[in-house]
Amino acid sequence: MKDFLIVLRFELMNFMKNKTFIISSAIICLLISIGLSVPTIKNTFFDSSDEEVTDEFGEIEDINYGIIDETNSINLQELQNNFYSGILVEAKDMDELKDKIDSDEFEAGFVIKSPTKYEYVVRNNEMMDFGSYSFEEALIHVYRVSKLESRGISYSDVEDIIHPNIESETVILGKDSAKNYLYTYVLVFGLYFIIILYGQLIATSVASEKSNRAMEVLVTSTKTTNLIFGKVLAGALAGIIQFGTVILTASLAYKLNAEAWNNSLDFIFNIPGEIILSFAAFGVLGYLFYSFIFGALGALVSRTEDISTSATPVTITFIVVFMISMMGMQNTESIVLKIASFVPLSSFMAMFVRMSMGSVTSMEIFISLGLLAVTTGLVGIIASKIYRMGTLMYGNPVKLKDAIKILRSN
Amino acid sequence: MKLEVRNLYKSFTGVEILHGISFNVESGKALGLLGRNGAGKTTTIRLIMNLFEPDTGDILLNGKKFNPKEHQIGYLPEERGLYPKKKVLEQLAYLGQLRGLSRKEAKENTLYWLKRFGVEEYKDRKLETLSKGNQQKVQLAETFLCNPDIIILDEPFSGLDPVNSQILKDVIIEQIAQGKLLIFSSHIMNYVEEFCEEIALIDKGDVVLTGNLNEIKTEYGKDRLTISVVDMSAEELANIVKLRLTNLIKLVETRKKYLIIELLPSVSKAELLKALAEMDLNIEMFSIYKPSLSDIFVQKVGEN
Repeated sequence: MKDFLIVLRFELMNFMKNKTFIISSAIICLLISIGLSVPTIKNTFFDSSDEEVTDEFGEIEDINYGIIDETNSINLQELQNNFYSGILVEAKDMDELKDKIDSDEFEAGFVIKSPTKYEYVVRNNEMMDFGSYSFEEALIHVYRVSKLESRGISYSDVEDIIHPNIESETVILGKDSAKNYLYTYVLVFGLYFIIILYGQLIATSVASEKSNRAMEVLVTSTKTTNLIFGKVLAGALAGIIQFGTVILTASLAYKLNAEAWNNSLDFIFNIPGEIILSFAAFGVLGYLFYSFIFGALGALVSRTEDISTSATPVTITFIVVFMISMMGMQNTESIVLKIASFVPLSSFMAMFVRMSMGSVTSMEIFISLGLLAVTTGLVGIIASKIYRMGTLMYGNPVKLKDAIKILRSN
Repeated sequence: MKLEVRNLYKSFTGVEILHGISFNVESGKALGLLGRNGAGKTTTIRLIMNLFEPDTGDILLNGKKFNPKEHQIGYLPEERGLYPKKKVLEQLAYLGQLRGLSRKEAKENTLYWLKRFGVEEYKDRKLETLSKGNQQKVQLAETFLCNPDIIILDEPFSGLDPVNSQILKDVIIEQIAQGKLLIFSSHIMNYVEEFCEEIALIDKGDVVLTGNLNEIKTEYGKDRLTISVVDMSAEELANIVKLRLTNLIKLVETRKKYLIIELLPSVSKAELLKALAEMDLNIEMFSIYKPSLSDIFVQKVGEN
């Protein structure tokens, strides 16, 4: 135990003194603080109360469209009221219309042939041209109004029948996924990022001990379980410290700026305590689970350059787990997410998503957590054996499945 | 303390590397593990250090199964290596703590041994910034810092210049005098001769010669003498021996300044001396031949 604590302290200091660790943490915290302070800065230095309120459609009002009504039966005012892409300006004839389009006075032109037929005159027909679409909608509206009125029916009455105002209220018995989505997303993504980052760091650290031959001195000085457990837990602590610092900075920055935000981000920062607890429990176990695997992978290669190749199957599995969890956030009752929430490879993320956004019984949580804890312990023991075995294996990288085979044959 | 290595066998990927290695070593004595490159010295040492398990065979300390983790061992592996990006004092103190020292002791011992090997000025430098020789000295300091009872050095002199070799020799002699049990592998014979009482010569995974170095030398020099004559070259003396003394001796080897000869059965040294005196030769040297370790090594390994 004493040796384990010595290794833990040494490895933790390695992470904490690492310039990349310090600088990246500082930059992330700084960006978050600045980002969350933007409304306060804006209110303090750029007070907008005296500014003229600009017309939201100012730009659109500058755009003119030419129109020729050959039927002389269209209510142009009604047409304009329903045309939102610009101002309809009457042209005398086709020549004037074309001239003004050519001289950019008109964006385009419409020639109404009948109440349900028109010609769209434009210089270049572009992909994102909504002028004709908008005009067509307005023309349909005008047609409907005139036809209904000619039959003595009020258009607004019809509209009330077709598009009644429905009032609704949602009574949530389980979880409000819409509300929890953002903080679940942030936590799941943070976990994904931390495991990938620290997993790689642990694998690199183990492999570099092999490549610089410090391993032989280390394994003859203390038990390999102390070495790998110390290293992995130091990574976990460093990850928690880094993630915790970021979350704390964000919470503090938001608290200071909450007024400027009109408390509109409360739903992100007011994460319920039980969610934080379950995130900590599942997150830490999931982190340890993958870190042990990454540690063992580091012991199976002789050079740090070989790690990315060796780690590919584990990284892909991990990304699949992440994708399942992310997709599960759209539908927490999906069968894939339910299965994933019990498989230790994925339960740390999938069960957390289900807990955070869906409904799940306490029994399910305990079973999943128990399975994950036991498997993580086993993975840790196997990883320390692989680490021990890989210690003096130099040469070509050994595949994880081959290493397990060798262990079993021993 | 008595360390006994009994009948060690070890195979890697189906190929047997060690075929029954046995030797003994006691406290206050040094055992030289000799052999050519690839003979099995490092594998034997790694088995003692429990880096690998032997297929069969035992390693006993005072008659009980030896567990390196239960003892203070100063181990200098053949593959030298520490943390290149860590400061010297920091990493040595860490390793000292892993070997059971308190943080204070680990620091004090580290500073003592860094000073002893003349590298204390680099204590706050990253290891990778030191020259290869100084890195080697840092590694030696690491070996001794836990005040070990058992010292196992795998090729300790490789990479050291004569001055540093002398420093290490002094340290080793001092450790032996303090009653430490020392095993040290090398293929540089003169170092072994200087402080090893016992040797085990390994060739192709077998111990081909083991025992007390003096006894081995005496055994190899049995009935053999060295002679030289004033103002006469070894070749001239060899011709005289071949012409006039074949009834008493057999010429074994002509060295640069003397001859190595072997007395024929039932011939005594006195008879030979008498014959030489009668020939009126001005004898410069007449002594019992003690072969050097190199002679024995070449002869023994050559036989195989």
